[in-house]
Amino acid sequence: MRNIWTLYHKEMLESLRSYKLIWVPVVFIILGIMQPLTTYYMPEILKASGNVPPGMLEGYEMPGSAVVMAQALGQYGTIGMLILVLGVMNSLAGERSSGTIEMLLAKPVAPAAIVSAKWAAQLTVLVMALGLGAAGAAYYTEQLMGPVSWSNLAAAAGLYGLWLLCAVSLTLLFSAWLRGPAAAFLGLLAAAAMSLAHSLLPSLLDWMPAALTAISAEMMTEGDGMAWGPIFSAVVLIVICVASASLFIHRKQLPE
Amino acid sequence: MDEIKWGLIWPLLALQVLLAVIGLVSLGKAEQTRGPKWLWVIILIFGNLLGSVAYFTVGRKDN
Repeated sequence: MRNIWTLYHKEMLESLRSYKLIWVPVVFIILGIMQPLTTYYMPEILKASGNVPPGMLEGYEMPGSAVVMAQALGQYGTIGMLILVLGVMNSLAGERSSGTIEMLLAKPVAPAAIVSAKWAAQLTVLVMALGLGAAGAAYYTEQLMGPVSWSNLAAAAGLYGLWLLCAVSLTLLFSAWLRGPAAAFLGLLAAAAMSLAHSLLPSLLDWMPAALTAISAEMMTEGDGMAWGPIFSAVVLIVICVASASLFIHRKQLPE
Repeated sequence: MDEIKWGLIWPLLALQVLLAVIGLVSLGKAEQTRGPKWLWVIILIFGNLLGSVAYFTVGRKDN
């Protein structure tokens, strides 16, 4: 346990030195506050771009604050996920190719401790970025559209965060085994495949982690719709990813 | 729609600038980058959000 803490400390120091602890949250805040801003100024933006057919803007209705917040969280599912996955892709792959892993394993450090510390560091960045981003988006939405239910938002952001954590954990697993870019590609592919499967067969696959984005949006707009199946399967998936990544590191199945 | 709410827009611009500045500082300290450094300077200054994200995710070499 003390090992994990030491390694976690080292990871956090590294993400501070590489400015990751700053730039990822800043990008999430920008993504979050841009959603209410562009929604609010959409008629102006369209007008400024020209070529708007007359009468088109008369039908423009400002969406409610809950809808805008759900859209803002949706931003984190695309660009946000890409950023998080690219950030984690080298975490194990890089240390394998530089030989740090062998050095660590020569000491009495459990592979599970290395992987858990890395995972916890990624979780910290994710929570910070998502928390600050969602809070910023909610503030802007309140200013421009109207009051936001902060309790619904906390639940919705938590559910969305769990889905993002699934993608991060998958990438961490692939990173224990492949090179960085391949790990990122497979991590995104796995997340996209899960989303696609869920959107094609929503009633059959409503227990999958990919259902979390839908529940999150419902939580934001309706205030309920909690389902435990996706939460449970997401936690199982994350545990499997961390455990298998530790196993890969343990066996030192190095392709290079 | 009345007037433009600058009180809400300038924090967005400030964050964009902050991001570009962090990127430039990181670029200044970096020994190596993927691709020429002068190109990254241009991308960071004119590339807005996506330019900075591109630099931080693929522009840097992990050492």
